[in-house]
Amino acid sequence: MPVKVIKPGLLTTIQDLGRPGYFHLGIPIGGAMDRVSLRTANLLVGNDEGAAGLEAVFLGPELEFTEDATIAVTGADLPILIDDVEQPGWTALKIKAGQRLGFGYLKSGARAYIAISGGVDTPPMLGSRSTYAIGALGGVDGRAIAAGDSLPIGAGAGGTEGATVAPDLRRATGSPVELRVLPGLYWHRITETAQRGFFDDEWKVAPEADRMGYRFRGGKALEFVEREQPFGAGSDPSNIVDGCYPYGSIQVPGGTEPIVLHRDAVSGGGYFMIGTVISADMDLIGQLQPHMPVRFVEVDMETALKARADRAALMNRIRGALDR
Amino acid sequence: MASPVPYPRFLPCGDAALIVEFGNAVDKALNDKVLALDQRLAAAPPDGMVETVPTFRSLMVHLDPLVTDPATVEAHIAGLLGDLAGSAAPGPIWRVPVCYEGDLAPDLEDVARATGTSATEVVALHSGALFQIYMLGFLPGFPYLGGLPDTLYLPRRTNPRTRVPAGSVAIAQSLSAIYPVVSPGGWHLIGNTPIRLFDSGRDDPALFASGDRIRFVPVEAAEFARIADAVAGGDFVVEKETV
Repeated sequence: MPVKVIKPGLLTTIQDLGRPGYFHLGIPIGGAMDRVSLRTANLLVGNDEGAAGLEAVFLGPELEFTEDATIAVTGADLPILIDDVEQPGWTALKIKAGQRLGFGYLKSGARAYIAISGGVDTPPMLGSRSTYAIGALGGVDGRAIAAGDSLPIGAGAGGTEGATVAPDLRRATGSPVELRVLPGLYWHRITETAQRGFFDDEWKVAPEADRMGYRFRGGKALEFVEREQPFGAGSDPSNIVDGCYPYGSIQVPGGTEPIVLHRDAVSGGGYFMIGTVISADMDLIGQLQPHMPVRFVEVDMETALKARADRAALMNRIRGALDR
Repeated sequence: MASPVPYPRFLPCGDAALIVEFGNAVDKALNDKVLALDQRLAAAPPDGMVETVPTFRSLMVHLDPLVTDPATVEAHIAGLLGDLAGSAAPGPIWRVPVCYEGDLAPDLEDVARATGTSATEVVALHSGALFQIYMLGFLPGFPYLGGLPDTLYLPRRTNPRTRVPAGSVAIAQSLSAIYPVVSPGGWHLIGNTPIRLFDSGRDDPALFASGDRIRFVPVEAAEFARIADAVAGGDFVVEKETV
């Protein structure tokens, strides 16, 4: 029971929870940028949490259904239209054969997640349907959806129409954002003044923000502790002899504009890094719009681990509320 | 103030990963230690380890922070760091056919000029070396190969290409590489191999692993075409040397 793509939106990709286990071959985990939103959308329509759905950035697609289905849209606040009638988000909605799902203009957040009962059933590659365009993996022939595509949908019982996630369990998108950071990696290579400045300054999301990484600008350039450049690292003090790039790590090419690597990151390279956004805050980055003000906040490991446990507890409360 | 602690050292990188760094150079002895630790971790993984990523001079270890935490994994790894030098099991030696001719080697003459050699010498040096895969990355299955003879050391091209053909065999700085798929790239292209390095349809999608070794075997254009046909038909097997 295919879903026809009438308009693809700006950049709409098929995503599930990604393909762990291949980073050593240069293939990142990928998958939904905002995992809690994808999991929740799937729960609402009666799917496994890790079923593949659509991740729409800024501008929603227009889709025509050829059979009745249950759908749910979570994440960014992107007005949901079924045959031009506005519908609630974070709610299981029935859509009938012949009806069209469309979207209004984005109100807040950046990425909406569309789950369809049965899940998008394109062929999994290396254990995942997630689109990784650079490696031509997953998605529709390794790419984002395009007008004229026919998306195969699996068989699914569908959720309970009208089931909804209470507002206090929805993750807010659009408020001024603090990203919690564990300093580390090559943090010792910048001066104490620069360390304080990084956390004191207000940064703004740059337009260069995508699934590989989010760039920020507006804060002061970093001052480096003097050192002798190792052979092979060039003359720029922000270059290192090629090292590992963890997810969430903050690299600062030229010492000027921090880039937080996200789920489609490369695994290594020659830019130095000053720390890592904690894993519990990675979903939040996927909902940041360009020009949005962001502050980086220093935390310790105990706080980071507690935040991660809190995020797992939130997911459990959502499961409980939806009786799953 | 250089490094705050001697090597090997742990670099804190958040609640879901840590890095063990062995030194500060692209160097076979350091890479061998990375591989040796990776092999030990594969044989004795700590609880909650998700995956490991060997790179030139460091090993990245991803963990599940709901199961374990970086300090616990660090303590486990610290117990595995003894006597790493020389302990990595050597990888197989693959014989990779390369055609170093004509359109398949667009930068060969430039490389010869820039290094003060001849095209014949460049081919002899490149195919005479035994390379080791220091890391796979940048593109799925893209091998960074250490072991390039010093004579061939060149900076990257000042004008990167927007489209490097799949199979391109390239050099830059102290490394060689093979482009598994079409991509932009700034390395010097000195040949092309018809073999398929990466196939997402295979259970093990990358032909090579970090630590494997590569010897390039020059083939003429006619042999290149014959191998390309065999690869397309699915009946070409890349030879391994018996070590």
